[in-house]
Amino acid sequence: MAAMAAGSWVLVTGGVWDWQSPVRIGGEALHLRLDALSALFLVLVAVLGGAGALYAWEYWSDAGHPVSAPRGRFWWSALLLSMGLVLLSSNGLHFLIAWELFALAGFFLITLDSRNPEVRGAGWLYLAASHAGTLMLFAFFALLAARTGSWELGPMRDQAGLGSLFWLALLGFGVKAGLFPLHIWLPSAHANAPSHVSAILSGVAIKLGIYGIVRFSGWLPVPVAAGWLVAVLGVVSAVLGVVFALGQHELKRLLAYHSVENIGIILIGVGFAMVAAARDHAAWGVLALAGGLLHVWNHGLFKSLLFLGAGSVVHATGTREMSRLGGLWRAMPWTASMFALGAVAISGLPPLNGFVSEWLVYLGLFDAVHDPGATLWAAIPAIVLLAMTGALALACFVKVCGVVFLGAPRSEGAVQAHECGRWMRAPMLALALGCAGIGLAPMAFWPALRSTVGAWHGAWASAPAPQSLGTLGMIHLALVLSAVGGGIWLWRQISRGGLVRGLTWDCGYAAPTARMQYTAGSFAGIITEWFAWILQPVRRAARPEGTFPGHARIEEHTPETVLERVVEPVARLVIRGSGMVRRLQNGRAQAYLFYLILGLAAVAAMTLAWSEPELLHGGGE
Amino acid sequence: MSAIVEFLVRLAVWLLLAPLLPGLINKVKAWVAGRRGPPVLQLYYDLARLWRKGVVLSTLASPGFVVGPAVAWVAVLGAALLLPLGPLGISLSFRGDVILLVYLLALARFCTTWAALETGSAFEGMGAAREVSYAVLTEAAVITAVLALSLRSGSVELGTMLASSAGTGSVLLAAGLFTVLLAENCRVPFDDPNTHLELTMIHEVMVLDHSGPPLAVVLHGAAMKLLLFAVLLVEAVLPFGEWSGLGGAVALIGGVALVGVGVGLVESWLARYAFKRVPLLLTTAFLLCLFALLVAWKGGWS
Repeated sequence: MAAMAAGSWVLVTGGVWDWQSPVRIGGEALHLRLDALSALFLVLVAVLGGAGALYAWEYWSDAGHPVSAPRGRFWWSALLLSMGLVLLSSNGLHFLIAWELFALAGFFLITLDSRNPEVRGAGWLYLAASHAGTLMLFAFFALLAARTGSWELGPMRDQAGLGSLFWLALLGFGVKAGLFPLHIWLPSAHANAPSHVSAILSGVAIKLGIYGIVRFSGWLPVPVAAGWLVAVLGVVSAVLGVVFALGQHELKRLLAYHSVENIGIILIGVGFAMVAAARDHAAWGVLALAGGLLHVWNHGLFKSLLFLGAGSVVHATGTREMSRLGGLWRAMPWTASMFALGAVAISGLPPLNGFVSEWLVYLGLFDAVHDPGATLWAAIPAIVLLAMTGALALACFVKVCGVVFLGAPRSEGAVQAHECGRWMRAPMLALALGCAGIGLAPMAFWPALRSTVGAWHGAWASAPAPQSLGTLGMIHLALVLSAVGGGIWLWRQISRGGLVRGLTWDCGYAAPTARMQYTAGSFAGIITEWFAWILQPVRRAARPEGTFPGHARIEEHTPETVLERVVEPVARLVIRGSGMVRRLQNGRAQAYLFYLILGLAAVAAMTLAWSEPELLHGGGE
Repeated sequence: MSAIVEFLVRLAVWLLLAPLLPGLINKVKAWVAGRRGPPVLQLYYDLARLWRKGVVLSTLASPGFVVGPAVAWVAVLGAALLLPLGPLGISLSFRGDVILLVYLLALARFCTTWAALETGSAFEGMGAAREVSYAVLTEAAVITAVLALSLRSGSVELGTMLASSAGTGSVLLAAGLFTVLLAENCRVPFDDPNTHLELTMIHEVMVLDHSGPPLAVVLHGAAMKLLLFAVLLVEAVLPFGEWSGLGGAVALIGGVALVGVGVGLVESWLARYAFKRVPLLLTTAFLLCLFALLVAWKGGWS
């Protein structure tokens, strides 16, 4: 609550809250600083942290999980606190400490259900990837401290030599954000974590990666090439994220891939803003950055909403497999309608929030097309691919909603489903209201965006609101009103004419079964076929043969292509190499003596070869 | 006051004239085949009849089955109202309205396919899957066409973008947009609006289970969408900014009628393509728009 209040205050006024304490941790004075950029993320942490905590009260209740529920609450608080610290700390060392705490808290939350081997595997993968990222950040902050002479962080655009460090930061934060080739940990971690944890991981935790990229692209004198790279990575993540999502049959894994997609959309905005800042094009840079940053909020809201909805489905049916669900709207009307709202929002459709941020990014990109300069060739493919991403996301979410909530139940679990309780519904309702609020009154959020943009790049602090943003809000409102009016009118006409319930028309076939429904795999089949080159689906089929065909079956599965085809072979190679190195450690004293002599000989040889004095005496500095 | 009158006229044009275009297309098809064909006003009769009828609802359908068509209809109407209408000009112009138009059509698609999946029928699932899949390619083609127009006019407002002609790239753009029109409105060679084979259809199969007033809303929405694409195509190609009053009105009506005749002729002379070839044709449409974009970018600033 306090974080929320402080964050909102800073966002609205655009001020900076700075607090230095005499307390020293690790030899460095504690220095906290809250500017609009941190505040934007802090508000998100506060909102989603609160919503998730309420949700967990019922979803991961003490009665159902006597051991892990209290543990979950502890790590939940630890996660929120450490994320707050990451956002506030203005000292490289403390940033790293908070970052590590945050990663560890995330690990313990993911593995709450630690008896399940799949969950443990996902947890380890998360931990390994997270530490690979942290390693980069260690290098980044250490080099930064070495070059500036202090661990203090702050704007250092004037020190030209620091630009190249941004690549390290991009890599380190990119792993956390789940950029496309670095996303390997993300699907399994999000799929196997308890749903409120998936919600906060997807809603906020990966956003801290974005925070890092945005923060340090604002503070460091980044090269223009970095802006281009971020934009390209954004486009790749957006398109491939949604394509992989289409190939999934598991509800939460699918949602996890959509996080990759949305991170991509955010980074398209950020990347183009970086290019604009480097070339001093304020007009479209502001729009692109504002769109990207608003998408941070939006994605936090609707993705958490969707994960909480998915959690309710899992809670009620006990399965994440979409092919076992169906027809859930009857048992769970609340969850179904909230999920539908989230689906419309994430597909970037008017009149909800997803469209507002994508629209801002589009406007920025269109202006980049009109700007004389070399941005046109990049903005055009970005726009086209962004449009295709939107259409693909729509396809994916029609599939999810249709297969999970509509039609007939495909399994006993789906028949027995029940609506979730009050404590699970309330957070979903709050998030849904947030989605609708940003969609219907986007102008109310512009001041916050403006101060954030100003915190990123001082020269853009006074950017005027795009006039059409208000018009868009009005149109959205008109749209909602006329849709409600139209719906009521249609319903009255139907009730006047009479309504009969009948069997679904299946070409005159009188006994359709639930198994005859279109499945998730067949729904996405056309598109996954187009992208088979990257999805590499595994197919096992027994075709019907002969005049009287017997048993026939088809099974299709999309693997974690990047993980299984790229990272694992490399990892195996590394392990084999390490195994060979391990043979040196064989426990025989003779061998160790031999190494000693060999080492001494090598040192002697080196000393003889380069006997410059500074090399001999320079080591102690 | 005049703004309200103008808005009402605009609304009347979209609501009342839209069902005329499918009638015209059917008349052309009948004429080529040497038949007399249904009257031009046939769709009006159908709509009036459907509106008074009762409804048979699938036992599996949720309220979304009725809400879906209603929202889709509102979205298409909203998108249509954003378009400038020849001499009437544009009612509400703002930066980025063209993106709203594209996404309103996407919203309509979401709602139609949602309603299609309500009944749990494999046929409707099939139709919905095709609709959303091919839309990926049409969306790319549409946004490329928008980019071409935007690059030429230096604006992101429909009013300015459609005021001048598309210049040298007009032919390419017209061909691309015409193909998109055929695909988005489920006409031959992508789909056959007359077929009764559920397995081979897109749009008609999605609305198999709709009846009565909801079906009327679906049909009217489809007619509005067809008119919308026809108007967009005509205004993208012709310089309506230079014509006013009667000349503009005649040009718009003539152009839309010409598009209708074109659709009719294509439907008479072409057979529906196999589904495997549909993506190829849509990619061609995308490439046509892309070349129009290149023309707008690199030359032809007439």
